[in-house]
Amino acid sequence: MLFRFAVAAGLAALAMPALAADQVEKAPPAGSYKKVSELVKLPDFLPGLGQLYVDPKTLPAGPFLAYDRDGRLVSTVYMLPIEDLSNKDKRFDDLAAPGGRVDHVDVYFNAGHPGVEKPHAHVILWHVSKTDEGRVAK
Amino acid sequence: MTPTRRGILGLGAAALAAPFLAGRAGAAAPPPVEILMRGNADGSQVWFDPVGILVRPGQAVRWVNRDPGNSHTATAYHPANLDHPLRIPAAAAPWNSDYLLPDEDFSVALTVEGTYDYFCVPHEHAGMVGRIVVGHPGAAPPGGTAALPEEAARAFPAVEEILRRGIVRRA
Ligand SMILES: [Cu+2]
Repeated sequence: MLFRFAVAAGLAALAMPALAADQVEKAPPAGSYKKVSELVKLPDFLPGLGQLYVDPKTLPAGPFLAYDRDGRLVSTVYMLPIEDLSNKDKRFDDLAAPGGRVDHVDVYFNAGHPGVEKPHAHVILWHVSKTDEGRVAK
Repeated sequence: MTPTRRGILGLGAAALAAPFLAGRAGAAAPPPVEILMRGNADGSQVWFDPVGILVRPGQAVRWVNRDPGNSHTATAYHPANLDHPLRIPAAAAPWNSDYLLPDEDFSVALTVEGTYDYFCVPHEHAGMVGRIVVGHPGAAPPGGTAALPEEAARAFPAVEEILRRGIVRRA
């Protein structure tokens, strides 16, 4: 598990310069991103998050790129398992952040869902204002 | 609601015949009971509603996913399901709904009397479990809840409470 994590983190770090250059503002993002609802059994549009894309190699942490119903990027989401966060030997380093400008950040607990099944924390970098969060509220 | 998925398991010939005959005789067959899969808006809490229920032998139980942003399963505690401990009557068949998306549903008819514990595959560790008593509760599973995740072990309603109230919602 630790090893797989290290490999995933390493790959993510290697991929970073390429990702940064890729188009992510509109769905679907370029690069190795896949629609989460096509990887696992989840609704296409998640209330509160939107439509998610992730590079499967970066699971569970992500980044997940979240889009509104018009396909505009609203946030970048990281999903960090609680058991990893409370493990002093584990850390999440050099996660890609291709979405650019961040307006504000939310961090909250999630009980789990297909894709990231363990209880985890959502760390959300919002690229839109607090009021514009409504674009993915329902 | 238009169910997009419907599974029926455990409907042996005898189980099918009983409600059919009862219907022909004009007596009311026990209506199916419904258990909703729910969650709050940010997914920090997920649960079965009701979490505990008393049903009659042969009565159908239907799970419906009413959590708009998540998918859930209703999966019997049984070695056949991801090597989980046996927590349904030994003579009963295990079931696993697989993932249900919002508004999808899954049904099972439980004919063997006893106590059935079940869980949601991605949310067992978050305490998304439930308990069904069919007729008489019978013996508790050996080993207690020691082998279960802490949150799951804590979430089961007591059998006595299910017998007393018929339906137990989460506290
Ligand atoms: Cu669940």
